[in-house]
Amino acid sequence: MEYLRQMGALIWKDVVVELRTRERFAAMGGFTILVGILFNFAIDPTVVEPQAIGSGLIWMTIIFGGMLGLGRTFHLEEEEGAFHGILLSPIPRDAIYLGKVVANFLLLTAVTVLVFGVFALFFGLQFGGHPLALAGVVLLGILGFVAVGTLFSAISAGTTMGDTLLPILVFPVLIPVVIYGVTATSRLFQGLPVSEVDGNIRIMGAFAVVALAAGAGLFRYVVEE
Amino acid sequence: MSSRIRWSGAVLGVLGLALVLVVHWQVFFWVSTERTMGVVQRIFYIHVPAAWVAFMAFGIVAICSAVYLWLKDERLDMAAVAAAEGGMLFTTIVLLTGPLWGRVAWGTWWTWEPRLTFTLLLWFIYLGYFLVRSSTENPQRGKRFAAVVGIVGALDIPLIHVSVQFFRSQHPKAVVINPEGPSLQGEMLTTLFTGLLAFTVLFFALFLFRYGLERMKRALTHRQLAGDGAPLPEGFAS
Repeated sequence: MEYLRQMGALIWKDVVVELRTRERFAAMGGFTILVGILFNFAIDPTVVEPQAIGSGLIWMTIIFGGMLGLGRTFHLEEEEGAFHGILLSPIPRDAIYLGKVVANFLLLTAVTVLVFGVFALFFGLQFGGHPLALAGVVLLGILGFVAVGTLFSAISAGTTMGDTLLPILVFPVLIPVVIYGVTATSRLFQGLPVSEVDGNIRIMGAFAVVALAAGAGLFRYVVEE
Repeated sequence: MSSRIRWSGAVLGVLGLALVLVVHWQVFFWVSTERTMGVVQRIFYIHVPAAWVAFMAFGIVAICSAVYLWLKDERLDMAAVAAAEGGMLFTTIVLLTGPLWGRVAWGTWWTWEPRLTFTLLLWFIYLGYFLVRSSTENPQRGKRFAAVVGIVGALDIPLIHVSVQFFRSQHPKAVVINPEGPSLQGEMLTTLFTGLLAFTVLFFALFLFRYGLERMKRALTHRQLAGDGAPLPEGFAS
């Protein structure tokens, strides 16, 4: 109970800071809209139907936009030694990690809603008839993504390369999410039944669980002084 | 480098190189040509042992990394670096020999088949492993970061297995470790095991040399920082 309260305090802090500054959401949201505009000019609609590659475009936009925000997960705490304050507080290290994951997850979910809206508007995409299954696939994918991204952003923040290193660390590990997420989303866009994406959802769930467990277990070694 | 490590490395190195010569003789002059794939199949005796050794190396990296985080013993971190470099070398061999075979057997240099994809990704995970290590100002922190990347990378290996089964794969099935026993016969199996032995011995020779080098490097850094007469920490005494 105490654990959840401590985690909740950290999440609340991040959410309030984000709601007041809107710094990361503005950057990620602006980025995703601009990506939508760029894709519009990059795709020749006489050659390829946007609906056919819609799921891939959406996932790439979420992931690239997400990297933008994940890279700044610990940015606020780096200033004036604020992170030392958190480390000195009697909060377990894994609660700090999980709190950051949840805060990132909420932020990225908001961005994802925007991405779907932007792509529906710009490309007239049809999202198929299973909104719940689609939400499940996307949210599981995002959860796995932020679980890996939060751990690695703590690492990249501690290196001289900083955010440049983050995609090199995250992308190879993230491939299962991309493969299974894009195929599942694409099947749902085509209006196929939910039973067609069962296997994908299971693998994405397994990925998220393993990533969360590994992150919660290893985070203490990343922030160790 | 202590003389014991140097001598073991030298002995293993000579033995490994000799075995590499033997396996090449077997591949080119001794083993019979496979019926359906023809002569190009002979690269299999290099490709498969390299893959086995690459996976073994990354297993060593993962175990040494995990125990390093627990015990903070410098020797485990040096072993992880040495194994990771060897693993990267053998993964590169896998990625170079695979397309040579694929060009003839599949008609294409590269295909996005799961096992190929994941081997390539493994290579990139360990690229991240070395980048993390080299881009930290505090070496202790770099070692911990690298260990975390090494462990997360190794957790990806089961997904290789899952992906091979989940997707319909065009990669040849396992011919040695499968439930019905080895489907590979006679001299082919012998050649494969010679290759495996040669690469394993060679890997451990490289591992020992790299380990010794890393130890000398760290002892030197330690002396530069602490003065010539300073006692070396545990694990560094020659």
